[in-house]
Amino acid sequence: MNRKLINGLLIFFALAIMAIIVWDFVGNKAGKNVPNPYEYNIDEFRKVDSLKVIYKEILNFPVVADVLSGIAISDSLIIVAAGNEIIKFDISGKEVFRKAIQDSSICLTVDANRDIWIATRHYIAQYNSNGSLLNRWNSFGDRSVITSLAVSGDRVFVADAGNRIVYHCDKTGKIVQKIGEKNGQNGVPGYVIPSPFMDLAVDDEGFLWVVNTGRHSFENYNADGSLRTSWGIAGMKIEGFSGCCNPAEMAIMDDNSFVTSEKGLPRIKLYGQHGELKGIIAPPESFNQDSYYAPDVAVDANYQVFALDYARKQVRIFKLK
Amino acid sequence: MSTDNLPKKMDRRRLIKNGMQLTLGLSLVSIAGWSAFKSTSDRLVWQLDPFKCVQCGRCAKECVMTPSAVKCVHAFNLCGYCDLCGGYLKPDPNARTTAAENQLCPTAAIKRKYIEDPYFEYEIDEALCIGCAKCVAGCTSFGNGSLHLQVRHDRCKNCNECAIARVCPAEAFQRVPISSPYLIKGGFTKGKNG
Repeated sequence: MNRKLINGLLIFFALAIMAIIVWDFVGNKAGKNVPNPYEYNIDEFRKVDSLKVIYKEILNFPVVADVLSGIAISDSLIIVAAGNEIIKFDISGKEVFRKAIQDSSICLTVDANRDIWIATRHYIAQYNSNGSLLNRWNSFGDRSVITSLAVSGDRVFVADAGNRIVYHCDKTGKIVQKIGEKNGQNGVPGYVIPSPFMDLAVDDEGFLWVVNTGRHSFENYNADGSLRTSWGIAGMKIEGFSGCCNPAEMAIMDDNSFVTSEKGLPRIKLYGQHGELKGIIAPPESFNQDSYYAPDVAVDANYQVFALDYARKQVRIFKLK
Repeated sequence: MSTDNLPKKMDRRRLIKNGMQLTLGLSLVSIAGWSAFKSTSDRLVWQLDPFKCVQCGRCAKECVMTPSAVKCVHAFNLCGYCDLCGGYLKPDPNARTTAAENQLCPTAAIKRKYIEDPYFEYEIDEALCIGCAKCVAGCTSFGNGSLHLQVRHDRCKNCNECAIARVCPAEAFQRVPISSPYLIKGGFTKGKNG
């Protein structure tokens, strides 16, 4: 074999090796899309039967704020608690009111008098519809992590995920009774709250519903705090509630059906008053794929659903098809 | 005219000599100072920020160690002790049991122990853990994010250029002082082998 051929082969192999090294270095660089053999894949649960989607999104609009805390509906106004601000939008998405408040909100509700009730981590503050402070309660203690509140007549219900309890208070903040403490005699299983998500609402008949997220169930209480009924199902499939602790958010419609919102695999669904799945309001595919926050939800008298999408910083309005 | 009253001119040879002496002296002082600083300051080691981690799986593949020096660690004080644990169980498992078919971890490195209804404790067997972050993704998405990755310094070779840091898409790797070598979530808890 002549020397030229040997040299040529050596140069060829040297160039090939260099090309492989460069390809490996560049192809494997940070930011390149390399398949992950260990990917946690829940794509099959993101896809849903389109026939089950019974709502459509009719409008969405941005909420300009650093932090979004919760959403409520009052008199055709959409009220958003955004950290230390209260923002109101009309039904077309136009901002009509914005006011800074002293209290750093976690969630909110609006009562029949249009007063806005803000929950912070440890206490409750009551504002009038113009955002003026009316009352601020004492703290429920350092262990408290308030995650939801509801006002029905003179009753105020406060969900404390930190102490795993619901406080039934009067409007001045005095505790009338504690609801949901584990008690075998009256059939209360006790709250299992692995993460700070514990929503509650009062239905059309004035009964309290609390989401026992660790048990993936809705629990319904009599006025004396005894358990009236419950329903729920765990599972990634569309009929169930996924993950450790869902549904993270919920709202009750006038016909006593439930709107549920889940975290991890964000999806909003509609259940009948006995817990049967009536349909999907917003399938997982309608949310950002990398988002695992549960949108807060509110409903109006026209059965429209208002979702506060934390990832997109939007209010999204869904209407029955 | 006498030149005695004029300032003396430094000749070129003397200027160069003085300059070299000054440069040498300054160099010696600098080296001594730098050495003293290095001997008293912390050595640096690699660590990953769990809040930046995107669970890409590269910690398992790219580390020069086999298995990887990156391990899952468990912040017990963040854990919800869930029955339906997103880090332990596959999505939609057949049952909430320890059967292999229900486990998410490809090497069964997470041990599940019943505490009381409905609570379970989860512990990482670091000898089995390959740092793939599959459990971290499940726990972060559906739980409290108590499972997270850390470089374990009893295994890490502290390479000059960390092979994982080079390819980490989230730029989660950084050098930290050896005196505080972990970037933890909610207080670090050592695994039973660690």
